Amino acid sequence: MEPLAPHEKIFVDSDIVDDENHGEIACHECHGGNPDDLNWKTAHNGVVKDPTYPDATTACGDCHDEINENYKTSLHVSLRPYKLITDKRASTNAFIRNKLACAMNTHCYKCHSSCGQCHISRPDSVEGGFLDGHLFQKKPPMQEVCTACHGARVGKEYFGENKGALPDVHREKYMKCDKCHTGDEMHGDGKDYANRYEVEDGPKCTDCHKEIYKREAENVITHRIHKDKASCHVCHAQPYKNCSACHVGKDKNGLPFYQSKASWLDFKIGLNPLKSEKRPERFVTLRHIPVDRGTFDFYVKEALRNFDSLPTWKLATPHSIRRKTQQNSSCNACHGNESLFLLEKDVEDKEKKANKDVIVPANLIPRKQKWQPK
Amino acid sequence: MKCLRLIGLAIAFCLIFIPGNPFKGEAYEDTQCFKCHTSAKKLIEITREIAKTRPALKSAETKGEG
Repeated sequence: MEPLAPHEKIFVDSDIVDDENHGEIACHECHGGNPDDLNWKTAHNGVVKDPTYPDATTACGDCHDEINENYKTSLHVSLRPYKLITDKRASTNAFIRNKLACAMNTHCYKCHSSCGQCHISRPDSVEGGFLDGHLFQKKPPMQEVCTACHGARVGKEYFGENKGALPDVHREKYMKCDKCHTGDEMHGDGKDYANRYEVEDGPKCTDCHKEIYKREAENVITHRIHKDKASCHVCHAQPYKNCSACHVGKDKNGLPFYQSKASWLDFKIGLNPLKSEKRPERFVTLRHIPVDRGTFDFYVKEALRNFDSLPTWKLATPHSIRRKTQQNSSCNACHGNESLFLLEKDVEDKEKKANKDVIVPANLIPRKQKWQPK
Repeated sequence: MKCLRLIGLAIAFCLIFIPGNPFKGEAYEDTQCFKCHTSAKKLIEITREIAKTRPALKSAETKGEG
């Protein structure tokens, strides 16, 4: 996505006055500043760029009170999973924790969203800029908002931009993100979820594909056999992107930066690290995430002293879905095919302990089938 | 009663004959914010002026995918 020119980022479409809901709110009512000052420099004293973050009550809450009530539990705002996961891996030493918090504030917690950074502008983490002259967008545009942030993995998978991969079948049906990821999921529901997979309003394949277990459905036997044993992605995802070794720091001018090793395409089935009533499957697709023991070394050594407490191969729901994939072309394309499974040999020595619960032992790899369903 | 009728008439007059929303405050189209931010020309001038003095905001040391 091309960044906007500086003036484009702040150009307001005068049609905003025709917006029957927002057109009567004066700029300074949300953003502050002095609307009568002829000098642009002093007129901007006290201006708040995004009046919807971290608290949207004043700007949005009067009218959108129900959404605003749960706003702070939206994972896009709270970033709670980041905090929980980092806390779990972190050292318990108070000094180290303080340094780590500083690093997280400088790098990780910048990557949030807000009402404004979905419905009015591009998110700050991708350099911001109004989506359409500050006209309010009921549905955030997919490429300027959703995949602007979720671009390296989800975006490239969904649009079929990874080498040798086809677009996600839902993309070919012209489905946009909000078709599955509804406003209810995005806006939070008042519960502090530990990860996105727990969110009650999160998408499930069976929300649309309701018929797959019915007797008259095509491939019903295959679907019934694998129900609760393998996630949909195990059979229907194409290879997806994996990342590693992200390190953060500040350059000589004090500007924050990150550096990560080259990503790679892979497809690995592992044991489900987040088994629950909602996700009971034994086998799921796993993605290697960019965390590293030394991610925060610039700030403090040994920040992630409990690195082994969580796997670095994480439950993934790749957005690279196809009806027919290499691994579902026949039973034995998967059964007995060791290369599809995350085995001990696939995991680096330094990460073996962290991934012990997701690595598939040889005896759990489904055996080759003699029988093939018609 | 007569007083109430007069007030009612006055409100009805306002609603019928005053264009736009009578409860709306001063038109913000007249504010400096609106005048400036709806003028591409002014914004180009100002953002160029800012660019001359503003230091880089992004580190050149960032490498890899985010």
